[in-house]
Amino acid sequence: MPFLLRRILFYLAAFVAAATINFFLPRLMPGDPVALMFSSAASELPPESLEALKLTFGFVDGPLWKQYLTYLSSIFTGDLGVSVKYFPLPVTDLLGRALLWTVSLVGTATLFSFVLGSFLGMLAAWRRGSRLDVVLSVSAIFATSIPAVVTSLVALFVFGFTLGWFPTGYAHDPALDPSFSLAFLASVAHHAILPLITLCFVLTGGFTVTMRNNMINLLGQDYVVMARAKGLSDRRVMVWYAARNALLPTVSSLAIALGTVLGGSLVTEVVFNYPGLGNTLYQAILARDYPVIQGQLLVMTAAMLVSNFIVDVSYVLLDPRLKRSG
Amino acid sequence: MGQLWIGLCRNRKAFIGLAIVLLIVLVALAAPLLTEYNPAARTGRPHQPPSAEHILGTTRLGQDVWARLIYGAQTSLAVGFAAGLLITVVGTTLGIVAGYRGGKTDEVISFFTNMVLVVPNLPLLLVIASFVGQAGPMVIALILGLTSWAWGARVTRAETLSVKQRDFVKAAEMMGEPQWRIMAFEILPNVFSIVGINFIGSVIFAVITEATLEFLGLGDPNVISWGTMLYNAQKASALSVGAWWDILAPCLALALLGIGLSLLNFAVDEIANPRLRTGGRLARWTSLVKSGEGRL
Repeated sequence: MPFLLRRILFYLAAFVAAATINFFLPRLMPGDPVALMFSSAASELPPESLEALKLTFGFVDGPLWKQYLTYLSSIFTGDLGVSVKYFPLPVTDLLGRALLWTVSLVGTATLFSFVLGSFLGMLAAWRRGSRLDVVLSVSAIFATSIPAVVTSLVALFVFGFTLGWFPTGYAHDPALDPSFSLAFLASVAHHAILPLITLCFVLTGGFTVTMRNNMINLLGQDYVVMARAKGLSDRRVMVWYAARNALLPTVSSLAIALGTVLGGSLVTEVVFNYPGLGNTLYQAILARDYPVIQGQLLVMTAAMLVSNFIVDVSYVLLDPRLKRSG
Repeated sequence: MGQLWIGLCRNRKAFIGLAIVLLIVLVALAAPLLTEYNPAARTGRPHQPPSAEHILGTTRLGQDVWARLIYGAQTSLAVGFAAGLLITVVGTTLGIVAGYRGGKTDEVISFFTNMVLVVPNLPLLLVIASFVGQAGPMVIALILGLTSWAWGARVTRAETLSVKQRDFVKAAEMMGEPQWRIMAFEILPNVFSIVGINFIGSVIFAVITEATLEFLGLGDPNVISWGTMLYNAQKASALSVGAWWDILAPCLALALLGIGLSLLNFAVDEIANPRLRTGGRLARWTSLVKSGEGRL
């Protein structure tokens, strides 16, 4: 079977696995799953909406497999139910709106730290053992071992509250209406800087370490020695011979990193009160709004699978051996 | 093991890392001797800044922050080590069995491992924890242990595949040793440095994740731990009312423990493989993870 088709089937299986967890969790808990999931909904929703919600989550009369198929069919038709807290807003609308903020925040942060981290890792590897290498490696260790909660809270305290350089919440000035005006975009950028810096701080270290280690392994290769023997300039050998090849494995760590970034961005958004998925999820957890909590697992899994797939495709393009080994 | 110990004492990173971790463990154990206050009791006025009486100030409920910090260390460390142990045991067992047995066993285990790896971990934990309700520390440790073993399994499997090819394993097979014995006494000791790195890495992950779950309000708010300290401080808007000590104390403690454990992790890496000191075992760790990338 071709490589990419196999991956697609695998991702489909992984998505169904996430849905299966959603389906069985409330049923595995002690007590009545319907009462558990919709206890807060019963008082707020009109009865017919509650019935529709139960149907979406597979609470129908009949054996378990029938309930399971009902749930799967509602998911694959894009029906994730309605939010209990923000009734009658569908979960897909609520999460879709939030996803836009999260994806732009996480996307920018990942791109920026990928470039910066790979560059620093390249320098550290090129001068391995030097003072620069020690400083970069040790600070990379520190940066990756400090929890995102801690980084976010400290950044908020120092730059938000103490120095007052950046706003301490929201994605834009609440007084401005969303539009493509200069004032609005400037406000968005100003509000995004602090969460971005925090995320980059968490991420860059990982990319630095990966790049450094990949590149050190490559520096001993014959073609690098050959390039130097030919008398090419140091910069040319470093960038076009060693770094270019060391980037290949980093691309795959990019996909793995995305899972971590999504997690880190959850926390960062809560701390900075940023209206992305993380904050939506936080509000849902506080209100025990289970349709939203379950929906975000599916949305995040889907986001993760799509990004993994993009990496797979780029991998096939970058490494032609994969196409043949299929 | 003896060599590892001597190496640990000589390595500067290991020394600093070990010192930090041991210091935190000692402080946690000696908590009753280091403070006169009950961490749960109201012992002062709300949000008092640090003073001689309350060296790290008080929370909004008037509890002593230092007392909560050192009693909270007990919880955070216990969860970290319990979950780390569970993650390592599950991951190592699955990894060695899959790598050594091969065939169908390997296919099934690897399929599940890869599946768990692509479902984002924190959102999954949040869903589970939200159904469990106000999860106590040990419940959190259990959930972490059952959902986070996949990395360790994949890496141990890859390492087992290479160890399995060596002569002493072939010799043991020819002498008719049972499979479980080969896995436990021939393979396991030879993948031990990977297991060690997996363990320390998992402890870091567990400490961070427990704090995160509790910060998000999924823990039991009556338990005293660094995570619930952050949760309560955030709920009391400690930063916006200027009570920085309430929130920065657990932050610094978490950062310190994370740094100590990471230094230890990198040191174990360097000592176990002196030849790889520039590249590092962690480089192999990451490349081993990646070598599994293209296949299912």
